[in-house]
Amino acid sequence: MPSNAGWLDRFVDGLPETRFFQFVAAHILVPYWAWRTPVKLLPGGPPPSVQPGDNVQRMMNLVMPLKDKSPVGRAKAALAIAQNKDEIYAGLDNVGTVHFARFVIVDNNICMFSVYDGDFTNYIRDFIVTIGSVFDAVVSLVDGGDDVIPSEDNVEKFIEWVHAHDMYQVPDLATGILRDQEALNGDTAAPGNDDLRLLPRQLILQLNVNNNVSLGSGYRAYPGYSAAQVRQQFGSGW
Amino acid sequence: MDDPLEAKSLETKSLEAKSLEAKSLEAKQLVDAIISDFPDHDPNTRPVHTIGIGVDGYFIASDVARSYCIAEHFKGQRVRTSVRFSNGSGSPVQHDGWSDVRGMATRFHLENDAATDLIAMTLGEFFSPQVKDFFEFTKAAQQQPYQMENPWRKILDMLQLKIPLRNPYPKETTSADAGMLCYANRHRFAQLAVFQAASIGAPVSYARATYHAVHTFVVTAPDGIRRPVRFSWQPVAGVRTTDPTAPPVDKYLDRELRDRLQQWTARFILMMTIGEAGDAIDDPTEPWPAKRLRIVMGTLTLTGVAEDQAAASEHIGFNPCRLLPGIEASGDPILHARRGAYENSRERRHGTPCPFNRSETDAK
Amino acid sequence: MSTVFNPADVQGNILRGYHKPRMRHLMLEVTDRAAARRWLAASTSGGDGVPQITTEEPWETKPETCFNIGLTFEGLRALGTPDASLATFPPEFVEGMNARALKLGDAGPSAPENWPAPFNDPKRVHLIASIYADEIAQLDRLQHQALPDGKGLRPLGAREGWCFDGDYVHFGYRDNISQPRFKEIHDSESYSDSQPMAPLGTVLLGYPTNFEGLTWRVPQPEALGHNGTFNAFRVLEQDVVGFEAYLDKAATELLEHPDVDDLLPPGAEANIHLEPGDSLSRHAALREVIAANMCGRWRNGVPLALSPDATDPSPDVSKTNFDYDGSSRCPYGSHIRRCNPRGGQIVQRVANNSRRLVRRGMPYGPAYDPAKSRGLKKDEPERGLLGNFIGANLGAQFEAMSCDWLNLGLQDPRVTGSNDPLLGANEPETSWFDLPLKSGAAIRLRGLPRFVRTRGGAYTFLPSLSAIRFLGSLTN
Repeated sequence: MPSNAGWLDRFVDGLPETRFFQFVAAHILVPYWAWRTPVKLLPGGPPPSVQPGDNVQRMMNLVMPLKDKSPVGRAKAALAIAQNKDEIYAGLDNVGTVHFARFVIVDNNICMFSVYDGDFTNYIRDFIVTIGSVFDAVVSLVDGGDDVIPSEDNVEKFIEWVHAHDMYQVPDLATGILRDQEALNGDTAAPGNDDLRLLPRQLILQLNVNNNVSLGSGYRAYPGYSAAQVRQQFGSGW
Repeated sequence: MDDPLEAKSLETKSLEAKSLEAKSLEAKQLVDAIISDFPDHDPNTRPVHTIGIGVDGYFIASDVARSYCIAEHFKGQRVRTSVRFSNGSGSPVQHDGWSDVRGMATRFHLENDAATDLIAMTLGEFFSPQVKDFFEFTKAAQQQPYQMENPWRKILDMLQLKIPLRNPYPKETTSADAGMLCYANRHRFAQLAVFQAASIGAPVSYARATYHAVHTFVVTAPDGIRRPVRFSWQPVAGVRTTDPTAPPVDKYLDRELRDRLQQWTARFILMMTIGEAGDAIDDPTEPWPAKRLRIVMGTLTLTGVAEDQAAASEHIGFNPCRLLPGIEASGDPILHARRGAYENSRERRHGTPCPFNRSETDAK
Repeated sequence: MSTVFNPADVQGNILRGYHKPRMRHLMLEVTDRAAARRWLAASTSGGDGVPQITTEEPWETKPETCFNIGLTFEGLRALGTPDASLATFPPEFVEGMNARALKLGDAGPSAPENWPAPFNDPKRVHLIASIYADEIAQLDRLQHQALPDGKGLRPLGAREGWCFDGDYVHFGYRDNISQPRFKEIHDSESYSDSQPMAPLGTVLLGYPTNFEGLTWRVPQPEALGHNGTFNAFRVLEQDVVGFEAYLDKAATELLEHPDVDDLLPPGAEANIHLEPGDSLSRHAALREVIAANMCGRWRNGVPLALSPDATDPSPDVSKTNFDYDGSSRCPYGSHIRRCNPRGGQIVQRVANNSRRLVRRGMPYGPAYDPAKSRGLKKDEPERGLLGNFIGANLGAQFEAMSCDWLNLGLQDPRVTGSNDPLLGANEPETSWFDLPLKSGAAIRLRGLPRFVRTRGGAYTFLPSLSAIRFLGSLTN
């Protein structure tokens, strides 16, 4: 604090941490700016790319809210996974492009986090072929899931639905989110009159629309290799 | 003629075809431009990264380094190194605790007085892709009077969901922040660097920050394969910055490093990221995706602060284009311009000349 | 879902090839909705002077000309297809080929930003009419008959194909050898093929598909979607000069390679022929070996999987009846193996035989004459392939093959990270291709440039005859 700071300066500096300001921000400022400068929903999943390193070890972060938001509902979801362990393993082994996958229950959401290679739609489609019944069992417990099951008869709709529940991946570097928003608006030119100080607001408004996000593209200890390459190199058979 | 990397090195040859006079003039103008950003610059010192400390150490390459690069220092033997850590500012007044970029310049000493330099800083990307943009940047980044923002102005910022401007440090009367922000608002390529620089803070130790060499180099493997790469030094002790809300301390980094190196050694891992076709090779403002292959090229161990600081910190003259067979510069125009600028600055402050290695690659 | 197949309802250029030497695609824009609808209605019966759409009905005598159409999403919308109907079309078709560029590897020189008219303005390409004939005069006549005054449909551009040498295409390979075989179709050239028969749903909407248990959504109403299919129409420019120059360079480098005798034993060049009875130098033979490995077939069409060392094996081998097993000498990354791994081992084990496509293509541009050419790319006329890649689901078949198999090479860890040597989005700094040796080792070729550049294309829906009547009878 500079020595010439008066009581008002000190008060204002401490303002953002106060409950009062946080209430005002959440209930008045954010809705106002969301109305005044709306942002569009950014799509989920990793950004498309033609470079090979970007097409292996891609992250999927799926968050699906349960219909039954009680311990009974959560137990049903847990059972749906536990009872289908063979199916899930056979599916993952035979799709061949998944490095890691896990189902997680967080609050009243059944989530699936996985690391996979190649195109998202191919991965989900090959899954529907092998474990469509497991998908049906799980998605029937999810809000809005009834519209897209049985998955085998609604392949395109199911893939789009999964894509919509996959989290947007905030770019690794802070200014990347501005570029993503500009691209969505079709604004690819370099206009020359941005305001970098609006970055916090743009981030807040985006998180107001994309509730759940993945921060960054994730850390990889051995980037650049597909699951099959790793298995082949270590002699586990692919 | 079918190897485009070879074609690119022809391109860099044509960059060098600019007359020596023109390059010498550009170098002088670059140094002048940088000095203009620091009005209290002392002529016998570097125009930026003025305050620093020289440290001794050694580098040992990993067992895979030699399969990616034939350069001498990657062969696996112990290589003596001279390192200089520094604060980014060109002002002679020391403010370790103020938010600032830090630098780490490393010289690998090889046989027969040969040497190669690797110059890195805590910012991963640069402010401008071309030399002419850099001149514009230095004009914009002049020191301007800096005062605490009026509290009503701050409230207005908060109502717009903007973060209010930071309070000035004690004794801070001027700052380049406003000018850099203005430049970034007009040029999207500078936004990442300016944003990162504004929030970079101060490390608790020179040995607890990650330093990036920023520019792309091209390394040649024993089988002839050439790869575009970027280097970074990663601290084994981890990255840690000081608490930005606590009042900044003006002088602590030198003492901290001396104490640290007396108790235990400080180590850095040299990470080499390999770029793919489509990544920005000649543009230092563009980052590479985090999914690129990272090779551990070796470990640098710092053993102690150099006895003769005059030689190790002030007179020594590093140069980012002091390279060896096996490492070449890419076509990055800023990297090429730095060669002349660093030489010019060294001459002005009467630094010790160190010849470029007599080899084909040093001409690039 | 009806599974009784009525050939009169399906357009004829889907399940069989016409084998006509000349073809013209006309890209049309709907300017008058009502007139366009009348035109469509007339095309199903051949009334009003509009040429009649050729169907899949078997013929006793081959007609002089054949005529078929395809519609883009923008075209369906321009004809006034109800929104509820439009919402039942798959998302990749709705977005259009220009928007799917990153998935298809259309970046850099192939990027849609560089496509010439009319493909640079995809919102205006509504209908692609295809005329097949024996002579150019017949193409002209039919075009004039179809579009006498441009009322209702405005021509935006045309692309003309010509089989300059039977089944041979630019780059010198014999094409059009192997297609999916369907139980429901008696193909007059039926040949033995170890691949299973493809279910009709590989190509046509409304039938069981080649994915176990899956059915694709048939665009509604049923009349519109049933018996229809999707096509990826691609204008693929081929750099023949660059290709031949690369074969020269790679063969020259291989002559010095320490393992070259393992690839082509001394004297084995006698087994490699371009013309019957000719005798090739070692360099020329190596060029053919490289060309064959990149494709998966020798230039005359003999598959490497059955005849890895000789262009004209004796006894003769089948051109179609083969598979890939662990000892196959066909490279994992060769073109035909990438596009169709048959029963070979692939990472996505469940996907064998699931991404098959019907390919109807014809070369365009004059044949390359090395004697006349000066070998400079800029002096050469544009030549290449007009490709139609047909399947019931663009995402599951054409796109899936393009993004994970053709480029990236995810199906085999030994080729992952590299692209198709002939068609792929190759950059010389980073491209590579492995030539397998009998010993199991490989020689790695590097520096392959991009040989094929995309110069336009569109995703089209090939409607059934009922669908065309449906569209012709819309009244909104």
